[in-house]
Amino acid sequence: MTFGFDPAEREAIAATLDAAVPGSVEWGAVEYVERLLGAFDHEPPRIWAAPGTWAGDGPAWLDPGPWERHAWRLRIDAWRSVYARIARGADDDADRRVAFEHACESSYGDPAYGGNREGAAWVAVGFPEPLFPPARSDP
Amino acid sequence: MTDCDAIIIGSGPGGATAAEVLTAAGWSVIVVEKGRNHLIDLQAPFEPLRHFANDEIAAVRRHLLGPDPLLEPRSYRRSEADGDRLMVGEVNNLPSTVGGGGVHADAKLPRFREEDFALLSARGPIDGARIEDWPIGYDDLEPHYAAAEASFGVAGEAGANPFAAWRSGPYPMRPGDDMPTALVSAAAAQRAGLHPYRAPTGVNSVAYDDRPACVDCGYCSGYGCAIHAKGDPIAALARALRTGRCRIVPEAYVTELVLDPAGRRATGVRYLDLTVCPDPPVRELRASRAVVLAAGAFETPRLLLRQGIGGDAVGRYLTYHYQTFTVGWFPHSVGGERGRSVTHLHDDLMIDTPDLRRVAAAAGLAWVRGGVVEHGGANAPVEEATTYGPGAHHPASMRDSAIRRRMWVFTMQGEDLPQAANRIDLDPSVRDVWGMPAGRVTYAPHRHELVASAYAGPVHEAILLDAGAEVAFTSTSPPQGDLGAHAAANPLGIAPASRHVMGTARMGIDPATSVVTPEQRLWDLDNVVVCDSSVFVTSTGYNPTLTLAALSHRAATLLAG
Repeated sequence: MTFGFDPAEREAIAATLDAAVPGSVEWGAVEYVERLLGAFDHEPPRIWAAPGTWAGDGPAWLDPGPWERHAWRLRIDAWRSVYARIARGADDDADRRVAFEHACESSYGDPAYGGNREGAAWVAVGFPEPLFPPARSDP
Repeated sequence: MTDCDAIIIGSGPGGATAAEVLTAAGWSVIVVEKGRNHLIDLQAPFEPLRHFANDEIAAVRRHLLGPDPLLEPRSYRRSEADGDRLMVGEVNNLPSTVGGGGVHADAKLPRFREEDFALLSARGPIDGARIEDWPIGYDDLEPHYAAAEASFGVAGEAGANPFAAWRSGPYPMRPGDDMPTALVSAAAAQRAGLHPYRAPTGVNSVAYDDRPACVDCGYCSGYGCAIHAKGDPIAALARALRTGRCRIVPEAYVTELVLDPAGRRATGVRYLDLTVCPDPPVRELRASRAVVLAAGAFETPRLLLRQGIGGDAVGRYLTYHYQTFTVGWFPHSVGGERGRSVTHLHDDLMIDTPDLRRVAAAAGLAWVRGGVVEHGGANAPVEEATTYGPGAHHPASMRDSAIRRRMWVFTMQGEDLPQAANRIDLDPSVRDVWGMPAGRVTYAPHRHELVASAYAGPVHEAILLDAGAEVAFTSTSPPQGDLGAHAAANPLGIAPASRHVMGTARMGIDPATSVVTPEQRLWDLDNVVVCDSSVFVTSTGYNPTLTLAALSHRAATLLAG
């Protein structure tokens, strides 16, 4: 069982993400946030995508060290609270800033992380496909 | 019973160079590194780990190279008048990882010039700054520059820069391909009477030292190199490891130097073993001959300050480069997505010219020096996206892409004069996750830096407009004016964004005013040698990495006898 929003949460969160970066939800922003908040549902946790097949047959995700795991658990716990508030309809500038930054990351970061579906956001802004992308594993 | 001849604290360009030199001389060394290892397999045959991809999320947004500011916060204030601090978070964070700052840098590796080592003699004093000559000259360092260039693999063109210092031989390889817009901005700079040249860069233009040639993927500044074509210190570390006399211990946070009973020699280090969480155990390593401090100009003084070693000068005379960004918005793509971030430089604002004399005289200063100017583009769409702010305008702003696709920038790494009040000390209440006082920066530029920046801005704006930009404007880091507005909107933040951190344990001939001897030994401890940019006496206006590596090469050579 991996982390996911229920339909009502998803609707509220999608509205916030799309208001921050219009188009981001179509490109996969909600899925990006779900994967981020569920990073520790996998082992290794899905924080850093490993280099893709061009680098050999290594793992799809790099293994964070124990203190990096500690930091990311703290960060993700805080963000789960942020999205819980957004889902409840709370209106807070700091929460909206978090959602905005995640909408930016999801749209214009690598598709490995669940957003920027098939690189569509990069195509929209004329950004070239990287030569050495990270591994783009299944969710 | 000891573990090795020398312990080296830090695995960046300084520590890696020291490891290479000492192991070649027959010493056994242990390199302790606070960060994790993403660089090199520590088992023979010491191949690259291949952890780096073209991935802005991992490298820029998620702290792959460390340090994580949640674990290791730092604080910043402009002066004591700001109270204990203005902000807590990420301040001048160089990577905390095996390879250190060499991993993320785009590896512009110019040498300093002769004058840079004798600034007081050449130009004279300036009120409010402690300008001194270095205790060594360019001629002393030249063989070590040559060795460092060979170790890192610097691609360059001897004679291209008319102001460059003399050199004993050619660069190890020719320059790499030019970024197309750099040719345009260089031509405009030439029309303005300046002297642009191809940047000496620690990135392979041809296969070199068992590493491939760069393919201009565009993920250079801020990223680990996916194919290790970049002059990160992997080659130096690999050579040290291949001797069989080097061991690298990552995730080892040195908390103190262990001293002999007389307090005159270091016999080892104690460190927290960060492979264990929570409650990392304290471990100890013992060295029979020396300890090399190469933790960088931020962490080296922080360690010394915790133990009260080095006297009042430790942490003081902190210098960065006062960065002046002149931005040109072009009507078309400038191609910053490919290339090595920067391929051309010009040095003219470092030179004693009638124009700069006039500027200095008008400002009531004895002289003014700017810094090396980098011609470069941008390749970070997530960072771009966060800069535009949320709302309906966002998609149109991204498509227009004024601050990425159409942006070409002159970045002047302005010489920053040493001032006693600019320093790194221990924050009185902020601590890292392991309970150690955070490093705190107190920094404000000298009037000299502001005058140089104010001169450079219009000069460079005119060049970019001549090159075809529709709009040109200038900003600085740290920003000036209302910091409240910058805190909310400036993508570079309110603290100095420069990763060129220097001068917190200066070398000198007087123990009352310096921290290390001309041989880079601590005045307080006979066998502790500092091999990073903290020993810089002045900042010059040149990227510091090659010089700190050359200094490390020299100090380690002297240490090995």
